[in-house]
Amino acid sequence: MSIEIKMAWRNIWRNSRRSVLTILAIVFATMLLVFMLSFQFGSYDTMINTAVKIHTGHVQVQAEGYRDKMDTRLVVPDPGAVSGVIKNIPEIEAYTSRANAFSLVSSSDRTCGVLLTGIDPEREAKVSTLKKLVRRGEYLTREDTDMALVGELLARNLKVDIGDELVVLGQGRDGSVAASVLKVKGIFSSGEDKFDRNSVQMPLGYFQDVFSMRGAVHEVVALGSSLEDVKKIKKELGAGVRGMDSDGNLVILDWMELMPGIVQSIKLDLVSGLIMYVILIVVVAFSILNTFLMTIFERTREFGVLMAIGMTPGRLMKSLFLESVTITLVGIILGIISGGMITWYFQVHGILISGASELLRQYGLPERMYPQLSILSVSVGTGIVLIITILTAIYPVLKVRSLRPVEAMTAV
Amino acid sequence: MYLQMGWRNIWRNPRRTIVIMTAVIIGVWAMIFLGALMRGISEQMVRNGITTLTGHIQVHHRGFRKDPVIENSIDKPEVVEAALSKILPQDARWTTRVRVDAIASNARHSGGATLVGIDPEREAEISFIGQAVTEGAYLKTGDTYGIIVGQALADKFETKLGRKLVMMSQDTKGDIASRAFRITGIFRAEMEATEKQFVFVTTGAARKMLKLGNEASEVSILLTDYKESDEVADALRGVLPSESYDVETWRELLPLVTAVLKIYDWFIYLWFLIIFIAMGFGIVNTILMAVFERIREFGLLKALGMKPWWIVKEVLAESFFLLILGMVVGNALGFLSIFALTDTGIDLSALSEGLEFAGMSRVIYPFVLITDIVAANLVVLILGLVVSIYPAVKAARFTPVKAMAHT
Amino acid sequence: MNIVECRDVKKIYRQGKVEVHALRGVNLSIQKGGFIALAGPSGSGKTTLLNIIGGLDYANSGSITLDGNIINEMSQSKLANLRLNNIGFVFQAYNLIPVLSALENVEFVMLLQGVPAAERRKRATTILDDVGLKDAYGRRPAELSGGQQQRVAVARAIVSNPLIVLADEPTANLDSKTGEGLMEMMREMNEKKDVTFIFSTHDRMVMDYARRLVYIRDGLVADEQE
Repeated sequence: MSIEIKMAWRNIWRNSRRSVLTILAIVFATMLLVFMLSFQFGSYDTMINTAVKIHTGHVQVQAEGYRDKMDTRLVVPDPGAVSGVIKNIPEIEAYTSRANAFSLVSSSDRTCGVLLTGIDPEREAKVSTLKKLVRRGEYLTREDTDMALVGELLARNLKVDIGDELVVLGQGRDGSVAASVLKVKGIFSSGEDKFDRNSVQMPLGYFQDVFSMRGAVHEVVALGSSLEDVKKIKKELGAGVRGMDSDGNLVILDWMELMPGIVQSIKLDLVSGLIMYVILIVVVAFSILNTFLMTIFERTREFGVLMAIGMTPGRLMKSLFLESVTITLVGIILGIISGGMITWYFQVHGILISGASELLRQYGLPERMYPQLSILSVSVGTGIVLIITILTAIYPVLKVRSLRPVEAMTAV
Repeated sequence: MYLQMGWRNIWRNPRRTIVIMTAVIIGVWAMIFLGALMRGISEQMVRNGITTLTGHIQVHHRGFRKDPVIENSIDKPEVVEAALSKILPQDARWTTRVRVDAIASNARHSGGATLVGIDPEREAEISFIGQAVTEGAYLKTGDTYGIIVGQALADKFETKLGRKLVMMSQDTKGDIASRAFRITGIFRAEMEATEKQFVFVTTGAARKMLKLGNEASEVSILLTDYKESDEVADALRGVLPSESYDVETWRELLPLVTAVLKIYDWFIYLWFLIIFIAMGFGIVNTILMAVFERIREFGLLKALGMKPWWIVKEVLAESFFLLILGMVVGNALGFLSIFALTDTGIDLSALSEGLEFAGMSRVIYPFVLITDIVAANLVVLILGLVVSIYPAVKAARFTPVKAMAHT
Repeated sequence: MNIVECRDVKKIYRQGKVEVHALRGVNLSIQKGGFIALAGPSGSGKTTLLNIIGGLDYANSGSITLDGNIINEMSQSKLANLRLNNIGFVFQAYNLIPVLSALENVEFVMLLQGVPAAERRKRATTILDDVGLKDAYGRRPAELSGGQQQRVAVARAIVSNPLIVLADEPTANLDSKTGEGLMEMMREMNEKKDVTFIFSTHDRMVMDYARRLVYIRDGLVADEQE
């Protein structure tokens, strides 16, 4: 260890009580930020993954305007051609096609308006969690025709159970009346009330017959192995689809465009969180500024001697800065360790946010939340603490610049 | 005397005093200002929830909320009305509604919506819809064909004022009832979801369509003071038998909002505590420094016969002045920031879809809750003094000889 | 050959509205290898003169030449460099860096000069042995007696073979016996290493050690004795 680092280290412990309090303040801030950001990032992950797995997949091919209007006539006319493109994109792990229509669904004594979706049972199972969400009865098979999966809340509202019949009434792609009778094969529950109250799934082939789709679908849904693949998939899918779609009616939408609400609410949460963290750290910064100031002012005479024996102000500033940086780093490292340990504990055991389960469910979050320790969650908070603390350390150090040896040595 | 000494002592090193005071000022400001913003968000959620057809208390036929179908209507609204006129405070308002899930469709589109039959005059005094119509006109009693839809729904259906909209639902006999209406008004709401969900007709029109007599789905009550909700609801429960009626307050009707309120409550106090801890370290350190550089002085005081308790009081007085000054300025800045935003608010329209998702309004206005202000200041003052006991006791413990020897 | 040359050096301090004439035109030449005492009562200007010769302070007028360099025209950083390489300092008190051991204190100057670690260690131990602190390498200033501290300070001042060592009342905080020991040692170093020593004092005993005695009074050279 060089003499300068040794000197910085020993200077820190000259007033151990003060240094410990200062380090504790930094540990507190770092710990809190590591935990909070891991918690936030963890819940965003859960939120996005749940939504992606239930609703949108990573990337979709749709007719232009379909996302906003959900108009039955805005279709992807040839899903087979899109699958051809998809097969050439190695990043896409699974894909499926869906068709939707708002319909009036009636049981023997109830009628409800729902979103009826035609799905390809086998492909859907690989793209979404729907198959796993079936709580009673069974999931659809390839051979099924007039069968339906019904959301749990909807089944309750319609007063239907497995094997009961549902009359479906809607509008076909050509504007004709589409009507059919479906048998309830399974009842699913996602935990998201709106979805469980509002949706019915049926086999895509039969849907296309009933709604006169003439082989068309509304969405081709692709899933990559992780969110990181989305950009690439979107680009390649875009290039491929443009090649086959001469009219330019099709658009490629990623999950962020399909669920702008989630993306923006994450942004909102993150930005408001960061504002709070910065304010918190500024308070910490002023709390420790006095320590940095005092360590310098009470040693003025010493600096005088150091300058007299030939230490330049620049070198002196460097060594004092080293001292403050060392305090900061000790605090940050201890903060990362303690914050990491706390976070890790909850990552394993989960945090029960009691009394908020209904609220969390609306965001696709479970009652027990798991923070997610990651390089990002650790580095963002730590980075903010480091920057602000170092800025704090600079001010007192700059005061040394104007120091002259004779005045310094005679200072009280 | 020790107050005077404390005051003079904090100004012996003005830089140090100002630095730590700045920490207290920013801390108190952050508590008050951000606390008010959080209250603003939750307050607005409550207000939105209450005006979006909730009111403070609702009366339903038993089971309607779980299974909102036409069979679960209140079959004798006059019984409820009689109970209301007996129990409600003079200036409370109420209205009856017919409410049913329906399918709206026109030539190009169809989708789900909630059809609400309202008494136009009474409704206007209770919910948002009275002031929300931006195009066309609000409903008039006796109007049997007019329908008011939200802007978002009109956009989605590619329709406009004067066009036809067909509503389909199940009537009392279990048959599909359908009726064509003409759009006579378009409303805007705080939440796009509200604009998409609700369409309004008169009670008469709704009853006719659904083949109802004078049954109603719900009675919604608005009190002048929401704090009376529980009391009035209890009184109503006493008159309306629970085997036929459900009487619920807005807390039960809006479980999500209630949950948000609870979380915010919890979070605001947590925020106060965290901010305090952040400045607590600085307060202790600063007072410690001030004490340690005066060891000789304290030794001298003790040698002069000063009691340790007196020294503790003197040091606490220093801390008290630091805190009070910081709090005064912090409160002032906090209220200034709040005041600056009372008219304009913080416009977050750029993130409107995220706000919609989170159930928040597009513009956030700070809202001051006196208990928050008191709590924030008490946290700072009391905990600030508590942590200062440590350096104060240190100072009181210096023995005269040891202290005088210290350089 | 003159190692220090002062010509009509004047220094005025301003304390509020009062002007204090610390030096009123000092002329002084010092030869290499000298052991010179600046004597005079407190307030006579001897510390000011030492500081100006050492480049710690600027003169208001006049010229100071150190080994041919005119130092009153140098910038702060050049002066720092000059002090580092050519001048050793010993002060009355607060001489040493409290967090460093005796050995590290001596090494510190060489660290600033950029001397390699092994060389630093060798030279520092040698010089500490020379000043009689063989057993005190690892001790921090707080663990050393006042006399020992001043010995470390002298060792630090001469370790890098400066042109001159300036000592401002080096014995002022020591008892007379320890003071004498320190003066013996300084004298020995002066002779052994051929380093020029200039020190200020108002102590008769210390003056007796000097080979040349310069009396300063009211900011002027009043008298000289060889």
